[in-house]
Amino acid sequence: MSNAFVYVTYIYATPQKVWDAITKPEFAHKYWMHYNVSDWKKGSRWEHQNGDHSGKVMIDGTVLESDPPRRLVTTWTRPDKSKEPSRVTYDIAEYNPGLVCLTVTHDQLEHDPGMAESVSGGWPKVLSNLKSFVETGKAENIWLIKNKG
Amino acid sequence: MANSSFVYVTYIRAPQQKVWDALTKPEFQKQYWFGGHQESTWKKGAEWKMFMPQHGLTDSGEILESDPPNRVVIKWRNEFRPNLKEEGYSRCVMELSTEDELTKLTISHTIEKENAQFIQAVSGGWPRILSSLQSYLETGRAHGDTRSPAAQAHK
Amino acid sequence: MAKLTTEPTIYVTYIATTPEKCWQALTDAKFSAQYFFGQKIEGDWREGGKIRYRTADGGEHIEGEILACDPPRLLRFTWRIVGMPALRHLPDCIVSYRLEAAGEGVIRLTMLEEHPEGIDQRLLGGGRSGWPAILSGLKSLLETGAVPKITPPTPPQEMLDYMKEHGA
Repeated sequence: MSNAFVYVTYIYATPQKVWDAITKPEFAHKYWMHYNVSDWKKGSRWEHQNGDHSGKVMIDGTVLESDPPRRLVTTWTRPDKSKEPSRVTYDIAEYNPGLVCLTVTHDQLEHDPGMAESVSGGWPKVLSNLKSFVETGKAENIWLIKNKG
Repeated sequence: MANSSFVYVTYIRAPQQKVWDALTKPEFQKQYWFGGHQESTWKKGAEWKMFMPQHGLTDSGEILESDPPNRVVIKWRNEFRPNLKEEGYSRCVMELSTEDELTKLTISHTIEKENAQFIQAVSGGWPRILSSLQSYLETGRAHGDTRSPAAQAHK
Repeated sequence: MAKLTTEPTIYVTYIATTPEKCWQALTDAKFSAQYFFGQKIEGDWREGGKIRYRTADGGEHIEGEILACDPPRLLRFTWRIVGMPALRHLPDCIVSYRLEAAGEGVIRLTMLEEHPEGIDQRLLGGGRSGWPAILSGLKSLLETGAVPKITPPTPPQEMLDYMKEHGA
């Protein structure tokens, strides 16, 4: 499990709202700057499309498990298939009424260290922005934020 | 080993023996544990069972270690919710120590499964129960049913 | 090699009080001095305002900026340790206090400490040993009118090791 990343975020929302934020393209666009497109049924294809409306697929894969609004597992694949797929698991747990504990696990990255490095910087930004979007309706353009010196 | 865990620490202004008794004796548990109580001799190897008024038996297991009034380890499985029961036995460690005028109580509850629903459930329950325990020992009054009306209706 | 984490710390407690009384205890120095290891809170209670916790001798221990202030429901602010040289370099955390009614004269207080920019995993133990003592004391204060004396918990050894590495 040395190449697994686990991110825990607490979000003041219902599990359904967090599920919708991940799976509805117009919501993902707000905080992830990409569209997540799928019917989210087990076995279906999913696409992470560029947010510029070009439809360009940046990441794709297959839905491995789908148990709305509690759990979603997908493969995470480079569209050119140049590396082995990795896997992303979203666990959406109700910690208390109105408070969700979202755990995102990205594993099976052993064969794609470049992807591992990229997502290790990306996930914290995306999930922090997801939290802001779900709680307040506002999100930042995370890819424009410069690191503090 | 993949596992899920919940750890909760609280400080209670009461002697350690009183906190131990409140945690392990049914006549005290019923005062603050939302009507629930447990049955056990609390000796190593003994059976352990929890009961709630609306459901009867809710959890069962065994005492794995016992060192009154400092530490007890309980093998603990939920019995009345099928999705929790099928996750199997958890391990609950209760540790007590005296610090200044306070008893420090640490609950460490773990199960060998990632993102376990059982741990999710106890993560919500323990703070309610231990807050009620602290109030009971410090003020004589435990907390009432703090679940939302919707949650009360489900149970 | 430092292992960075964004893992948050959460602590929930239930207190027999009103949201208004709990809000006051969280934001007024004469209360915080009793349960927050002697530290006095001061703040400009609006979004963008400054917030500080000062030690008994008046020195600044924590400073931050208020991100959300919605009395008596939510206070959210950045948290930077300025009073300990070994920890001054750390990125800001975000701390929030959320107060909700929980039935029958009881409120639920949820403290959430977030580390969006990642911190060394060894430092998580600081908050995890401190917050239970602080918030148990706050509860005693609101329910009994008094806070028993408590020695601030010693940080876990791995946190002390980190601090030693950074000049403590």
